[in-house]
Amino acid sequence: MLESIVSFVDGSALNQWIVAAWWIWPVFEILHFFGLSLLFGGLLVIDLRLAGHFRRLDPGATHTLIPVVLAGFTINLITGILFFYGDPVTYASNAMFQIKMVLIAFAGLNALVYYWLLHPLVHNWTTSSEAPLAAKVVAYISLTLWTAVMLCGRLIPYIGEYLGTGN
Amino acid sequence: MFVWIEGTPIAQWVSLSLYAYPFLLSVHIVGLAVVVGIFMMRDLRLIGCFKSLDPVAFLSLGRLAWTGFFFNAVSGLMLFTSQALTFAENTAFLIKIAFIVAGMALAGVIHARLRVSLLVGSADISRSTRTVALCSLLTWTGAIIAGRLVAYIV
Repeated sequence: MLESIVSFVDGSALNQWIVAAWWIWPVFEILHFFGLSLLFGGLLVIDLRLAGHFRRLDPGATHTLIPVVLAGFTINLITGILFFYGDPVTYASNAMFQIKMVLIAFAGLNALVYYWLLHPLVHNWTTSSEAPLAAKVVAYISLTLWTAVMLCGRLIPYIGEYLGTGN
Repeated sequence: MFVWIEGTPIAQWVSLSLYAYPFLLSVHIVGLAVVVGIFMMRDLRLIGCFKSLDPVAFLSLGRLAWTGFFFNAVSGLMLFTSQALTFAENTAFLIKIAFIVAGMALAGVIHARLRVSLLVGSADISRSTRTVALCSLLTWTGAIIAGRLVAYIV
């Protein structure tokens, strides 16, 4: 599957544009870092409350941060796709990149589990009630997966056959 | 002085070990996400987003951000030692440090004001606090921009 994506992307007009425009990488990296701060910052508040910390916060109120998390994810999805378009062969063959994509898929599944099974119950919680075990598990899995996603992303230039210019 | 720093055992380890640099960068990215992530949520709350969220809760979340900052100060200093001379002459790096100092100072101001509202029991956010929060948001955005440009600007 990855090979067919690479052959589709490699040499495309978008690929050639990104390769030619020197300013693309720093600008999109800045956006990618900004996006990860929004994504992870929002999740820290939501997930740590879900796990039972920061009881001052109304669990339902933390969910008003979900649009921020989704905005951060969207920024990083778009900039991430453009990074891939800029250097498809090296990304596709990089082990850290591949692991990162799998971890993002698991994080998405984890979010769906939460949304389907736990979210309908969240409004029943009060600020004082103990968080259910399932909520704690989902919350810590979420934070662990996203931390691992960041680590894999940061290590792409250093580990796993990356041939591009690392910095 | 920077030449001396580059000669210290820590600097030697960071620049010569195959694992030190990527390891420190890994610590630094998670720390960044914790510090900037929490401070940005706090600032967005204070400028008027997510009104149902109790702003005073950012005092305890702030302690987590300070922990992240500690990890980034240590990992950042270690990364700095390996190329002290180069970093010290890098404009983007100097701007980044200035933004971080400003961001932490603004965090001090904001958290002091949150402590006051905790004591008074008031949920009102004054206009000046909103302004400080907006400055803080811009400061951390600036720190990210400058920090990323360190790798591109000499």
